[in-house]
Amino acid sequence: MKIRGDIVRTYRDVHSWVGIIAGLFLFVAFYAGAITMFEQPLQEWASAANPPPVSTPFERLPALMEKLFAAHPEAARNYSITLPAATPGQGQLSWSIAKPGAHGHGPATQVSLNDQGDLVMVQDQPSGAARFVDVLHQQVGLPFPHTLSMFLMGTVALLYAVALVSGVIAFLPGLAKNLFAVSIGRNSKKMWLDMHNLLGVFSLPFHLIMALTSVVFAFHEPIFATQQWLLGGSSAHQHMQGGPRHGGGHGRGGVAHGGHGPAGMEHGGQPPVAVQPAGEHQGPSDHEPATGHDGVALPQREGSPDPALGNDQKNAAAPRTPLPPQQIVAALAAQAPGFVLDSLTYTQRPGAGVALNVAGHDPRYSMRGPVSGFAGVDPYTGKIISADYLPGHQGAGFSIITTFFALHFGSFGGVAVRWGYVVLGLGGAFLFYTGNRLWIASRQKQERKTGLVEETRGTRFLACLTSGCTLGCVAGISAIFCAVPFLPHGGTYPVVMGLYYAVFCLFVAAAFLLGSQRCDRILLVGAGVLTALVPVAASFGRQQGDWLSPVNQAVGLTSVLVGVFLLVCAFRKIRVSSQRRLSA
Amino acid sequence: MNTQASFSKPEPLSSRNWFPKVSAAVVAGGLLTFGIMGVVGLLCHSDASPRTLSAQFLLWLVALVWCVLLSVCFLFRSGRQAWAVLAVANVLVWGLFFAIRGLVS
Repeated sequence: MKIRGDIVRTYRDVHSWVGIIAGLFLFVAFYAGAITMFEQPLQEWASAANPPPVSTPFERLPALMEKLFAAHPEAARNYSITLPAATPGQGQLSWSIAKPGAHGHGPATQVSLNDQGDLVMVQDQPSGAARFVDVLHQQVGLPFPHTLSMFLMGTVALLYAVALVSGVIAFLPGLAKNLFAVSIGRNSKKMWLDMHNLLGVFSLPFHLIMALTSVVFAFHEPIFATQQWLLGGSSAHQHMQGGPRHGGGHGRGGVAHGGHGPAGMEHGGQPPVAVQPAGEHQGPSDHEPATGHDGVALPQREGSPDPALGNDQKNAAAPRTPLPPQQIVAALAAQAPGFVLDSLTYTQRPGAGVALNVAGHDPRYSMRGPVSGFAGVDPYTGKIISADYLPGHQGAGFSIITTFFALHFGSFGGVAVRWGYVVLGLGGAFLFYTGNRLWIASRQKQERKTGLVEETRGTRFLACLTSGCTLGCVAGISAIFCAVPFLPHGGTYPVVMGLYYAVFCLFVAAAFLLGSQRCDRILLVGAGVLTALVPVAASFGRQQGDWLSPVNQAVGLTSVLVGVFLLVCAFRKIRVSSQRRLSA
Repeated sequence: MNTQASFSKPEPLSSRNWFPKVSAAVVAGGLLTFGIMGVVGLLCHSDASPRTLSAQFLLWLVALVWCVLLSVCFLFRSGRQAWAVLAVANVLVWGLFFAIRGLVS
């Protein structure tokens, strides 16, 4: 392929500068993102020491709900029933106080009946470890407030997109020659360049998807606001407040997953239409004027009563009770066979009837959320009234959009695809690391050519920063998972966050104190040991479930692999530097 | 448009005058992107409520167009050309937007 030399040179410059600005943020995003692929099992793993939520058989749920609503009328405004796959025919009832205007909702309270038929309420205190890693992923490692973090994440995502395009243009001409020629050896610049090219080319489609989806995730609010301003009719403005941000990502097993986090849409997608009055048609057409409100899992917190609510809400003036959960489950099984229900979420806005949103998964289709697809259901009849996000029942247009979400979340094709995404995510993180290394190596080479004995301050700074940030991120996350078995409740969110940033800052500070020559190997050893210790900590610490459970095996095996990889790199560095010292 | 322009000019491209080009792509390019969104939105009768399909497609369109503009802005010969081309494009697109809106309403 022939591209003019000056264009190639221009884009090579653009690629290196854009890459160097965004690379470290992207490293954190990809490393944490790879782990987030298994957020839910990790969440359960980390919360193993907490008392498990009590399941209630379907037959007893109506009685339980009646008792609960009599004792706590506010519970009727926001409650959900989780249907764990392990106990078919049983559901876990929980409720929470919705916070108007806030992301997510307050801590959930698990409710059950004891043998005497009395209400038992337990405050849910899940481990914050897995969710923290998810947020770290969404905010590219930045501890700032959500809005600011999203803006910075979006900027990084735009730089990432530019880096991808410029990288392709800059390296396309020589690519066919050099693609598989990875020379590992003395010439460190050549080695990093070859690895960077190889990784970059083969994961390019993955990265293009990630860049585009991340830009959408970051800027959807201002873009929707602008759309509203330019095109908005009269009915739409209230949707802006509630619409896109809360994700409705009710994870399987009621894990506080994605959509409940500070970046709702990222991991929840947009919520499905909950109520669509008048002519409840299934199978939406592409331009269906959805007149319902968009409250999904937790719409109430946004709080504005919706005038567009139709029949159900008007009828609700005469008190009606929703169908018992058992009948809802049966009705859905008949309407959407193959869709495995994970949770039913009931919400009620002031002056409106009850809206029911269900989350579930269907292994045959790609899904809108990280672990689930959604549907809006009429709680009084059990009829599906919105199938825009229901796997296998979407119209062509929504299916296309869902595909992009699913390609970001890896929420298609089951566990094998998730492991594939872990590999791609770790590969992506390594790609950014090699990019930075390449930059440093080529600057060192240039400086040596000009006769400098010592590297310049800029090169040294970047070398220390690269080692400190990347290995600090790896070590920080490993430290969390090492500590989880010993922390009360498997580590609450603030504790986990404090631990991560303490380790991260320690590594960055150590990198600058040790200097660019020595920091690499010492930090590699540190991060490698911490990572390899995760299964050891799990076995010494409090019971993390059965030692041979698949989750324990996967956590153990993965962390040992990553840890050993880091240690091997460390020893290689030590050997090379001692050889250099001998030959000098 | 810009590729052709840069072909006709013998002076080679360089990354040195990146700032005016990038700022043009960010500011004028962003405005242009929103203009395109508006025109397409009017043509497909979007009512801009975020749960509709058309609104969501427009969202993705904005992300895609802006990413492309930011990536190709380096092909402009100069910052001045970048600003000029994007400004003219803005005038055209926004003119079209207001014209269509006037016709529709």
